[in-house]
Amino acid sequence: MFMDDDFTDDAMSGVASTIQKLEDLLLVTVPRDLMDDQVLSLRREVVKHIRLYNSLWVLLDFSQVDICDSYFGRFIQSMANMVRLTGARVIISGLQDAVIETMVELGMTLPDVRAVLDLDEALAMSRTNGKVDADTSETELAELSFLDSSTFDFFEV
Amino acid sequence: MVSPRLASRTWSIEGMVDVVTARRCGLKTALSLGFSTPEATKIAVVISELGRNILLYAERGLITVSPHSDTLPYIEIIAQDHGPGIEDVERVLAGGYTTSGGLGKGVSGSRRLMDEFEIETAVGEGTKIRAVKRLYRRR
Repeated sequence: MFMDDDFTDDAMSGVASTIQKLEDLLLVTVPRDLMDDQVLSLRREVVKHIRLYNSLWVLLDFSQVDICDSYFGRFIQSMANMVRLTGARVIISGLQDAVIETMVELGMTLPDVRAVLDLDEALAMSRTNGKVDADTSETELAELSFLDSSTFDFFEV
Repeated sequence: MVSPRLASRTWSIEGMVDVVTARRCGLKTALSLGFSTPEATKIAVVISELGRNILLYAERGLITVSPHSDTLPYIEIIAQDHGPGIEDVERVLAGGYTTSGGLGKGVSGSRRLMDEFEIETAVGEGTKIRAVKRLYRRR
């Protein structure tokens, strides 16, 4: 597995521009063919931006992605796990029909990841459920504020 | 006259960039041959899974994608390497088994996505996987 610690600005530059703030949402547009080093920098950038904007929700937009193999499925899952450790919630949107069909046939499931149809629906969801429920374990994890972005490098791609 | 997209092509797989190139070309080839988007996507995903496995276990290898535009068109993918080989093929095909810390779905999932799937492997010598997807399912 590619584990490069001194990732360069070059590796990041293409990825950083895909993260935007929208109300309580952090909108992450996942690039089409994500390389392994970009996966690492994207995850770091997402965690950094959650802190920066105090985002309660992270929306992973997959509308650019047309080929999703099992490694990519693992990336989605690890990204969701990481975001949860920051106390935010993950929503995924924009999965193409062909991608959904292939993922299911490959045997990939994404437990605990909520999917919505599009950005409108994600925004509506974040507005109606503005605060993260107090009775979920996610808030407990949110108290683990000593976790910084480097902690998340332990997650496998 | 054969369209260049419908010619057989071989990629040397030495890095993730090669896997991405091969799966992108495979996707286009499948679409050109008449596969629907979901079916072409499955072919591209199988190329991706096999390519990643080459990188992961053998470091380098070859992937050949051959479109056949006969009366019953099909696409054939051949992935071969001189890596460590697979010790327990049955277990790999059953799924959920991995020696690399992955999901163990790459090979078993790929088999489900294709119509034919054969593994030739010898420990210490390498692995050759042949996978076929037909445009029309046999009745």
